[in-house]
Amino acid sequence: MNLHTGYKLMSDISSPVPTDQDIIQLENVSVEYRVPQERIGTFKEYMIRLLEGRVKHRNFNALNKVSINVRRGEVFGLIGPNGAGKSTLLKLVARVLRPTHGRVRVMGRVAPLLEVGAGFHPELTGRENIFLNGAMLGFSREQMQEKFPRIVEFSELGDFIDAPLRTYSSGMSARLGFAVATDTQPDILIVDEILSVGDEAFQHKSFERIQAIKAQGATILLVSHAMSTIESMCQRAAWLHHGQLIAVGDAEAVVAQYTGRVLENEAERLTTERKTVGANLALSQNESPSRWGNRKIEITHVHITDPSGIEQAIFNTGQPLILQIDYEAHEHIQAPVFGIAIYRQDGIHITGPNTTQAGLTLPTIDGPGRITYEIASLPLLEGLYSFSIAVVSQNENEIFDYHDRIYPFRVTNRDAHIKERYGLLTLGGKWKFDATQLMEHK
Amino acid sequence: MKSKTGLPVTYDSTRRGSVVFEELREILNYRYLILQLVRRDILTRYKRSILGVAWTMLNPLGMMLVWTIAFSQIFKSASLPAYPAFALNGLLAWTFFSQTTTASMVNLVWGGGLLNRIYIPRVSFALAAMGTGLVNMLLSLVPLAVVMLVTGMPFTWTLIFVPVTILIIGAFALGVGLLISTWAVYFPDIAEMYQIVLTAWMFLTPIMYPEEILPQAYRIYITMLNPMYHMVKLFRIPIYYARLPTLMEFLVPLSISLIVLILGWVVFSRKSDEFAYRI
Repeated sequence: MNLHTGYKLMSDISSPVPTDQDIIQLENVSVEYRVPQERIGTFKEYMIRLLEGRVKHRNFNALNKVSINVRRGEVFGLIGPNGAGKSTLLKLVARVLRPTHGRVRVMGRVAPLLEVGAGFHPELTGRENIFLNGAMLGFSREQMQEKFPRIVEFSELGDFIDAPLRTYSSGMSARLGFAVATDTQPDILIVDEILSVGDEAFQHKSFERIQAIKAQGATILLVSHAMSTIESMCQRAAWLHHGQLIAVGDAEAVVAQYTGRVLENEAERLTTERKTVGANLALSQNESPSRWGNRKIEITHVHITDPSGIEQAIFNTGQPLILQIDYEAHEHIQAPVFGIAIYRQDGIHITGPNTTQAGLTLPTIDGPGRITYEIASLPLLEGLYSFSIAVVSQNENEIFDYHDRIYPFRVTNRDAHIKERYGLLTLGGKWKFDATQLMEHK
Repeated sequence: MKSKTGLPVTYDSTRRGSVVFEELREILNYRYLILQLVRRDILTRYKRSILGVAWTMLNPLGMMLVWTIAFSQIFKSASLPAYPAFALNGLLAWTFFSQTTTASMVNLVWGGGLLNRIYIPRVSFALAAMGTGLVNMLLSLVPLAVVMLVTGMPFTWTLIFVPVTILIIGAFALGVGLLISTWAVYFPDIAEMYQIVLTAWMFLTPIMYPEEILPQAYRIYITMLNPMYHMVKLFRIPIYYARLPTLMEFLVPLSISLIVLILGWVVFSRKSDEFAYRI
């Protein structure tokens, strides 16, 4: 994403002019919660404090002057970290909350999929719950009677329809909730991370239904933490952070901006984490779960850098990576072996090269020194990884110093020329296609 | 009203006439929901018990029995024949009131956060509570009839006035329910406190005892100034006393009911926008 687009996005925020096509209009909307500084639980306590003038409130802005227009018929995504105000925004559109300031306008019938099956009662049968839930969505008895057979069919409950809901599996009640909420074509469908309803077959079915609702011209407001979902389903998206609208516009552009920021933050976090680890290591002389060995040779410092020697926390797939290991030998050690290991965040051991296996026999060492390991082209795909560093005796019987998975780094394919995204690593293989060759073999 | 897009403006957060009337309009659209909520409350309350809804009738009977054993000798007098009928008659009015008010508060504050998930008119909770109380009240009329038969009380034509009295008590209960649920949203402790208030209130209202036993000096406070005194009395007049109320006996509870209902409705709907911020 170039800077130019970023600039355009920002200007988009400042001048939202509602047009004819805008089915949802948020103008300068703020949602302000008053949170008591301390919890005052009882009325008596409250009265005492009120009289003493000690009731202090802190204003908390769940949304702060947000203006967004959602066009008719588009799929609009909302992204941002937890607590950014995404759900608050959905609640505004669903009429659950009224904004503290600003104006919300919604044209048409909203079908909320905020929490599928909210308001179900476990002691009632599926049939009774369908009518109850339908009534909560504002339908009349006649409408529900007309919808009932379709809902039963879609939810695939069969004979269970007259069994109490408490006997249902969680997937079954989720299916029922989804079926009730989406039976009638709405003007606006609100989807809050619910594409994980039921088993895979039903997920497919619910995805198809959402597509069908969309195809019939409904506007869809979608919250998801899966950036791939946002990119593949939405035309436009908005990025919220701490109640502020950071960017709104083309979904791919906003997602790119957002993931860029997330990576920056992570780089910062990883760098601090490494610094803390370094400081802790220097202090700790004892064994710890992540460091052990007799310290005849001590690993004093580890740098993960790019070719120019600048320490990095984030690498692109295919980029060079250099690992510098500073050590200090406290006595004469003959031919020690240095090794590293790379683990993925979930504990998968990916690789573990060492000096011996590479055919490098070190001389007898004493005092400080440095050993480096250079990766010309990092084959790892997107993910969070961690280095282990160790130095052991020649016969590998004696461990001098072992740092277990304490040097984290992130791999991304954001600016990488290698765009592979499935699995763990790229083999760097080459694809060839030649139709004529195939003909010859025949 | 149509907007430029041709779609109706179904919701505009800044456009609201009177909150009080809007809530009224919405509740008409959602009347099927009230029915469903009442149905849910009735069905689920006894779903796992063998006698089921019969408990609604057995409960007041049991209470009446206890009172009869405890008090019938003490209150024996010429002015109070058929104590069981007297007690049960009063108890039904009281139960209707206390159930409705408690349930409207509990439904709203502990309604599973429903308020936070989908839009439904906020008064639905209190209205459904009153509906449930009403159904229970109607069912309880059966044991009352039985007790009147057994104790030899007459069934007179004045019974046709009973529905009116039930409506007046219902309106009063709804009003009080709306007021205290508004309050309970801000102070959850109100719910606990209210149970104590209810107990005290019941003892201070001539339900299990005749008002004549009250000392002259206090009687006026417990009768004239206690709205539930008028409600209970109004309910007993066509049944136990087998006559029609005098104009004052009718107008006083009617005006109390209407005033409290209007007050409750206005306070509740004015504050209702804040509820989602609080619950």
